[in-house]
Amino acid sequence: MTRTSAPGVRVKDLTVVYKTPAGELPALGGVSLSLAPGTITGIVGESGSGKSTLALSLLNAVQPPGRIKEGSVEIDGLGNVVELTGEELRRARGRQVGYVFQAAQNSLNPLKTVGKQLLDLGRSHDFDDLPALLKDARALLGRMGLDGGRVLDSYQHELSGGMRQRVGIMFALVLNAHLVVLDEPTTALDMITQAAILKIVRDVHHERGLTTLIITHDMGVAAEVTDSLAVMYGGRVVEHGPTTEVLGSPRHPYTKGLIRAIPRLSGDIDEARALPGRPPTLGTIPKQGCVFRERCPMRIAVCDTVDPEPVTRDARTVACHAVGRPATPIVPKEYV
Amino acid sequence: MITASGITKTYKQRGNMLGARAVPALRGVDFTIEKGGAVTFIGESGCGKTTLGRIVAGLETYDSGDIVIDGTPMSSLKPRHRQPFFRRIQLIHQDPYSALNPTRTIHQTLAAPLALRAKQTGRGKAWMEERARELLALVGIDPGYVLPRYPHQLSGGMRQRVVIARALTVDPEVLVADESVSMIDVSLRLGVLALLKDLRERLDVSVLFITHDIATARYIGGDGELYVIYRGQVVESGPTERVISGPVHPYTQSLLSAIPVLHGVERPGPERVVPTEALNEAHSDTGCLFARRCPFRTDRCEAELPALVSDGEQAHACLHPQRRNVIPVEAVA
Repeated sequence: MTRTSAPGVRVKDLTVVYKTPAGELPALGGVSLSLAPGTITGIVGESGSGKSTLALSLLNAVQPPGRIKEGSVEIDGLGNVVELTGEELRRARGRQVGYVFQAAQNSLNPLKTVGKQLLDLGRSHDFDDLPALLKDARALLGRMGLDGGRVLDSYQHELSGGMRQRVGIMFALVLNAHLVVLDEPTTALDMITQAAILKIVRDVHHERGLTTLIITHDMGVAAEVTDSLAVMYGGRVVEHGPTTEVLGSPRHPYTKGLIRAIPRLSGDIDEARALPGRPPTLGTIPKQGCVFRERCPMRIAVCDTVDPEPVTRDARTVACHAVGRPATPIVPKEYV
Repeated sequence: MITASGITKTYKQRGNMLGARAVPALRGVDFTIEKGGAVTFIGESGCGKTTLGRIVAGLETYDSGDIVIDGTPMSSLKPRHRQPFFRRIQLIHQDPYSALNPTRTIHQTLAAPLALRAKQTGRGKAWMEERARELLALVGIDPGYVLPRYPHQLSGGMRQRVVIARALTVDPEVLVADESVSMIDVSLRLGVLALLKDLRERLDVSVLFITHDIATARYIGGDGELYVIYRGQVVESGPTERVISGPVHPYTQSLLSAIPVLHGVERPGPERVVPTEALNEAHSDTGCLFARRCPFRTDRCEAELPALVSDGEQAHACLHPQRRNVIPVEAVA
């Protein structure tokens, strides 16, 4: 197996639309995002924010009625994924980009043992040395604290939720992909299992030299493992920067509100505040102006008409009219 | 006031060729819910916390022990005479997407229990209409908008509020909230939690809160009691803030250590505890139930089942109790 280094990813002006009776509605409205090679990036957002659509775009796997309308997804060693088709695309998936699907616990074939499914995967990618593939899989499972031999001989119903999730991660890594996308890797898992899985994700990331993208709705999960954090809302990345900075001194009013709405174990619990209003759905995303303005405490006149451009300043990107100006002092103290 | 003592429940799996198997869900649980108080049960899935909630709401039977509601032991009553007691305890379901009948408008959903209530108290249709509006306003949604609509036309947060309003139609004294926000969008969760907290204050209802997320327990019942359940047994209990800031049982410490740290806002606790193994129902029932996973186990733990001992406020079932600093601390700017 060839050892390639961690690839970088550059998403540019990506627009994905879904065809509905009301016309084509944008799930992603011109998203730009870079994943630095060798980092763990987290995308947090609520349902309907477009985070899963963005993750699927990395595989060029947006399913109809959705389609990538414009923009590009450049992955080092692969080129522009949006332009890949057919056989080329099929080979890239799994080999170069590993994907752990949402509810990976339920995405195994119930009629085949894990080992059989692994052999299928190997054959579909023309692996000659299938015993070596099995050996790699056993080693990976062993690395994650499982008895590899036993797991490969098991059907999915013989494994617990946490074990299936680890099997999902094994499938994403076994073909030696160096870009790994995990969509909600710990949803529906218990706290202790979640902590164990997150530790595995972090350890494997460092050991194998990966570029990792984690999609989650849980700020805590993102905070625990990521180096860099992007916050999505209404099909846009509204804030992106180093995780500790985004959490410690959030700039976008949505990020601020979201962090404030998390009950925590430290600090004064009564400072937690709910965010007013509710997130937009595909049909209710405003056609013009800022997507967050209805819930925003910092709304100004321009928000109604102009969609704020993302502005990057000292490695932090924020798309907001009210904080985009250097003149506005940011007082993070309130949230520290 | 509700007092439960020594509640046990064992699920029997039907026999196959290997014979029948008994799965103990609760192994003798005691607790008290004061009027207007808040009691939280936390634990991993499969620890018996949902079963306990259903037993308290009268939706599930128990094998032994007793529930005493305002001085009346339920074991002394025939099942049909228990109903007026259990009516005062209402369960808020976990999943607002399946808890409402999709073929009924919210108006119809609320009208059914309200009609029952109107009959009991000798009031008419006008009262029902007014009460429905009043309850929806109480849970923070616009009655004019919601009443004629079907559940699929509402967001998850709104549906959960409707479910709470429906539970309130019968003027309950206790609300049992089982993971009531886990299916709702993150930015809306705190709103629903704040509502439950507010109802406690305004209507003086007690809340029995069942969750795996200790931080939400802290928000809703910070002044109440916390019970940590492991494989059907209470392993630690006490005032919520006290247990969270000073847990002595390694299982409580593991749960608290597993909560993600918001790096940048807080720093991890210095003595985080990680279990040595994953939860396995097949683990032996002799000795301490947590022994196999416990990083601090001794030979004694594998032989002896520790009893719940209390210092008057905080109780624990551990042979080697030791306070550890596991929860995150606020980062200083």
